[in-house]
Amino acid sequence: MEGDAFSLEMAGKHASGCQACAAKLASWNEISTVAQGMQTTWQNDMLWPRIQRSIRAEKRHAQSKWWQIAAAVVMLAGLGVFAWKANERVRTDQFDQRILQASALDAVEKAEKAHLAAIDSLEKSAQLKLEEASTPLLVSYKEKLMLLDDAIAECQANIDRNRENAHLRKQLLAIYSEKQRTLQQVLREGNHVSNQ
Amino acid sequence: MHGAAPAVSLASPVIPTETPIRPTRTANDEDLRLARSCATGDTGVFEEIYRTHGDRMKSIAYNHLGNVSDAEDAVQETFLKVHRAASTYNGESAFGTWLYRVLINTCYDALRRRQRRIQEAPMDDVITTERAGSSVDDAKRMTLRKMLNGLPEQRRSVFLLFEVEGLTHAEIAQVLNITEGNSKWILFATKKQLQEQWKNMS
Repeated sequence: MEGDAFSLEMAGKHASGCQACAAKLASWNEISTVAQGMQTTWQNDMLWPRIQRSIRAEKRHAQSKWWQIAAAVVMLAGLGVFAWKANERVRTDQFDQRILQASALDAVEKAEKAHLAAIDSLEKSAQLKLEEASTPLLVSYKEKLMLLDDAIAECQANIDRNRENAHLRKQLLAIYSEKQRTLQQVLREGNHVSNQ
Repeated sequence: MHGAAPAVSLASPVIPTETPIRPTRTANDEDLRLARSCATGDTGVFEEIYRTHGDRMKSIAYNHLGNVSDAEDAVQETFLKVHRAASTYNGESAFGTWLYRVLINTCYDALRRRQRRIQEAPMDDVITTERAGSSVDDAKRMTLRKMLNGLPEQRRSVFLLFEVEGLTHAEIAQVLNITEGNSKWILFATKKQLQEQWKNMS
């Protein structure tokens, strides 16, 4: 029985001629009757204000939650921008540092080239006197210059592998200075021998 | 629907009740407006809903929970849940139906919490007004209440919504998220079970 008017009517028609079913239908309907009496209500003037207060509190809470989320987002964005800026600055500094290093290196290499050119010119002047080395002193100068050239070649090979090694550059400069002094001494000694 | 008296005159005729405010079967613009306003927390709209559905909500909650205090708490919690979830209302069912679904789920939650506390909730002695059937013996109502308390949640809900609150099977199906046929079958099985118990008790 679905409880609708039609099925109740059909059941009623059947029950009118059947006592057993009539009793069953009666108890069936009695349950419905009693159930309908269970619809309950009461008056509580405090209930609606209570609900209203809780809704308002909920709304305030939700709004403050959104503000908190917004504040957190702004803070995170701020931190992100700060971190990005700091990173940019570090990268720029590193880049500038690299440029400075490169330009300093270029300056050193330029000075070295000028120095080498001067020594080459000095070497050319001394070359003739060394080829005609007639005194033991000139011969020893010649050997010293050969040793210095070997040392220069070795040092230069090391510098080619590590251009930024300042120690090797200082060493090379010292060897060149020594070569320059030796060539000057060769020229002085050569002039002295010619005068004699 | 039992709103009308049965065709046959029986020993205990069905007493016509005050026509309840019915939830509509499908959502309309008004339902969507209500849901939108609820989502914004418009207390004026909540008051409108309370005035329209409040009495039936209290009745449903009372018959599920058995006391006024818990029933009022459930109604209040339902309004809060509606405020929180109104934006998820998709208009698949009438707003009233959706409201009752939220209420019944709230009642189920309250019953489960109560079971966890393992406390017997005393029947409230606050003065309540029985809307209809005042001529029906109070003892019978008490008996029926006790019998209903022993039923599983879904059976009790179907019985209460149909027999006490006067909802149709289509509406009950939407409220309890079951099929209409299932609602009819559950009501039939429940009434049959109650009839057996009723017979034994009397």
